[in-house]
Amino acid sequence: MSTDTTAEVSTGAPGTQDLDLDKLFAARLQAARARPYLATALFALHTVASRHVPTMGVDRHWRCYVSPGFVDRTPVEELAGVWVHEVSHLLRDHHGRSDRVAKERGLTGPGERLRMNIAADCEINDDVFGDGLVKPEGVVDPAFLRLPEGQLMEDYLRQFQLGPRTQELAWLDCGSGADGLDREWELGPDGAHGLSERERDAVRFRVAQGITGRPGSAPEGWQRWAEEAFHPPQPWRELLGAAVRSAASAPGAGEDYSYGRPSRRSAGVPKTVLPSLRRRPPHVSVVIDTSGSVSDVELGSALLEVAAISRAVGGRRDLVTVVPCDAAARIAHPLCRAEGIPLMGGGGTDLRTGFAKALRSHPKPDVIVVLTDGQTPWPDSRPPCRTVVGLFPRQYAGSAWDEDDPDYVPDSPPDWARVVEIG
Amino acid sequence: MPTRAPFALPNAFSDTDTGTDTDPISQLDVASDLLSLLRTTTTEPRPDTQLEALTLAVAADLPVLLWGEPGIGKTAALTQLAAALDLPLTTVIASVHEPSDFSGLPIVGDDPAEQGVPMAPPDWAVRLVRAGRGLLFLDELSTAPPAVQAALLRLVLERRIGALQLPPEVRIVAAANPRSSAADGWELSPPLANRFVHLQWTHDHEVVVRGLGGTWPRATLPKLAPERLSQAVDFARRAVCALLAARPKLVHQLPSSESRRGGPWPSPRSWEMTLRLIAFATASGVSRDVLSLLVRGTVGDGPGLELLAGLDRLDLPDPEELLADPASAVLPGRGDLRQAVLDGVVAAVRARPEKARWDAAWALLVRALETGAPDLVVVPATTLASLRREDWDVPAAIENLAGVVTLSRRADQAAARARTATKGRR
Repeated sequence: MSTDTTAEVSTGAPGTQDLDLDKLFAARLQAARARPYLATALFALHTVASRHVPTMGVDRHWRCYVSPGFVDRTPVEELAGVWVHEVSHLLRDHHGRSDRVAKERGLTGPGERLRMNIAADCEINDDVFGDGLVKPEGVVDPAFLRLPEGQLMEDYLRQFQLGPRTQELAWLDCGSGADGLDREWELGPDGAHGLSERERDAVRFRVAQGITGRPGSAPEGWQRWAEEAFHPPQPWRELLGAAVRSAASAPGAGEDYSYGRPSRRSAGVPKTVLPSLRRRPPHVSVVIDTSGSVSDVELGSALLEVAAISRAVGGRRDLVTVVPCDAAARIAHPLCRAEGIPLMGGGGTDLRTGFAKALRSHPKPDVIVVLTDGQTPWPDSRPPCRTVVGLFPRQYAGSAWDEDDPDYVPDSPPDWARVVEIG
Repeated sequence: MPTRAPFALPNAFSDTDTGTDTDPISQLDVASDLLSLLRTTTTEPRPDTQLEALTLAVAADLPVLLWGEPGIGKTAALTQLAAALDLPLTTVIASVHEPSDFSGLPIVGDDPAEQGVPMAPPDWAVRLVRAGRGLLFLDELSTAPPAVQAALLRLVLERRIGALQLPPEVRIVAAANPRSSAADGWELSPPLANRFVHLQWTHDHEVVVRGLGGTWPRATLPKLAPERLSQAVDFARRAVCALLAARPKLVHQLPSSESRRGGPWPSPRSWEMTLRLIAFATASGVSRDVLSLLVRGTVGDGPGLELLAGLDRLDLPDPEELLADPASAVLPGRGDLRQAVLDGVVAAVRARPEKARWDAAWALLVRALETGAPDLVVVPATTLASLRREDWDVPAAIENLAGVVTLSRRADQAAARARTATKGRR
């Protein structure tokens, strides 16, 4: 295999073997042929020979550290898989996400960074191999940790601890590009051949553009990445807040000029009556799907959120009413008694009764917020007020739902409602 | 009379004989001395991307909107900027005003039917106009109710307050808290959002520590090089038009998501702003990082990145120049850019196939092979070989590319092995 060792460059310390660049680059070429949409990113990596890294590793400045020994003992087709694996760490911003997770959850220490590296590897390895790329020997995947496939690094991170099962992964090191922890032997931000933040963005953008421009050639995981690369899904709290606020604040829903009270400016303009800006706090009705398919935890978090938002837009607590609803709507409760609202229910859902109940209440709501998992018939016509739907996503609403149960297709929320996916 | 001023110092620090019973007035004087000592800070020049971006946008006379958490130093940055530009700073808290404060207050005169009712501007606007120049800072923009935002549209775009026209020397900067931290905030209306250059204002740990130690970074106006002006305008027009000609959909694109409408989005107006920013950035020679912040803050991330990618391509060496003189060609060091250049060269040969150009392209490929990674050369070499006409002799330079053929074959063999391996597993 490695008879033509014609390494052109060797930046390793004296005594190390030379890096077989021809073999490494043949592998990169194969990787680029197998995944044409990643070619830009693969070619943007700068190779550095290093004996500190056990296999191959990347730093956040898009340098790729390669162990000469690893290249020697690994066949080209497996090296190609490693190339794609390493570049995936960078494209998916694992270092940035690791830093954020570490800050959010207060994870410190090298052990936690190792866990992040393992979780990031799981996220990558469950969908990059196959289809012309061989899975390299000994890579970690979700099945190895007995975890389900297709999740994000952040989710995997919650589900396993270091223990006997992960003992043999202790050598795993994909560099600071994978887990955000700077290594001593890396060249750092001032070293040569690093990419600046803007250049990194440009490369990621071109890769994303290549994928969205030619849908069909890229697997679904990459397409999802490309869609979200520069527009990460926003936290639902913010979206729900935006929807409720804009529904409650749009002209006609609680704010207008009125002659009911003179403007404070009237004193300066004798003989004229100026209108003054008056805000009527909006009435908000929250229709809650209490059918068996929505969990209490989901409901609780969403209800709290709606209450906080509607308070913030000027609605006093007594202006928010809650309508629990499964197949039939029960009584509407004012929110000031929210602690004691019996969210009874279970069984099927028909939110139409909830809508009717909310609209019949007096005073009429300016905004209806519906919290549901979407397994319900919707009203045929647009209700006479703004509607925000907080939707709890369900598994079958994703990729595999038509295969699981081809007969059942829940109606999607109507287009007159602003829909926010929760969770 | 109280025996102690509110700011009285502990006895140990008092240097009077009686110690306790000092004059309250002098104590206040001491306090103000202390305060002025605390206020005395110096500035230092320091590379700061976001400050450079702010200064450049202000120089280009585009309204800037700073998004940042409360207390992060937006106002402090503005004060520094006003001092550096020697402009008087006028701060208006948008959220505590009524719409009529920005559209003008009606004043009834003697004969309204005959003379109409003039709309009188507020005093700060009058003072600003009288001064003839200044920095108008609209704070707390996102907490202003929609009706006030509507009134601000005219101020920001047409620079009119009531009957008053702001002079061209007045620059407008606004600040807003992101929706997540402004609990009682409103979404910025899309028309207002589209009039601003949005800058995310974050704090730099080092800058804050150094600033509290008494030294803040200094904002300097970008130095525009007079001899580069027409070239800069040319470049900016070429960059924006090339992109929009190829991607007509990007000209106007109102975001579909509720929360993104309050941010930057592409429209003819924001593209014109982008054009101006590119021209200013080119004429002053600021870094691409600064331009990136500005462009993405004007038309949004997606279109902004696409434009920047286009600029990168404009920066690459021209294939025709490379073909004219392959011996002294300088190819970019970064792999992906190098590949883009080589692809461009092959495309140029394909567009106008001539023997001399074909030979020059081979020479370029050999040069690329000698100075960088060989796998980059494989695809261009294959394509170039396919362009050969029957009467063209194979140039001697191809000998040097033998290694590339081996490399390519090796990748093919590996791919074949991978195919059987992945098939076998399924």
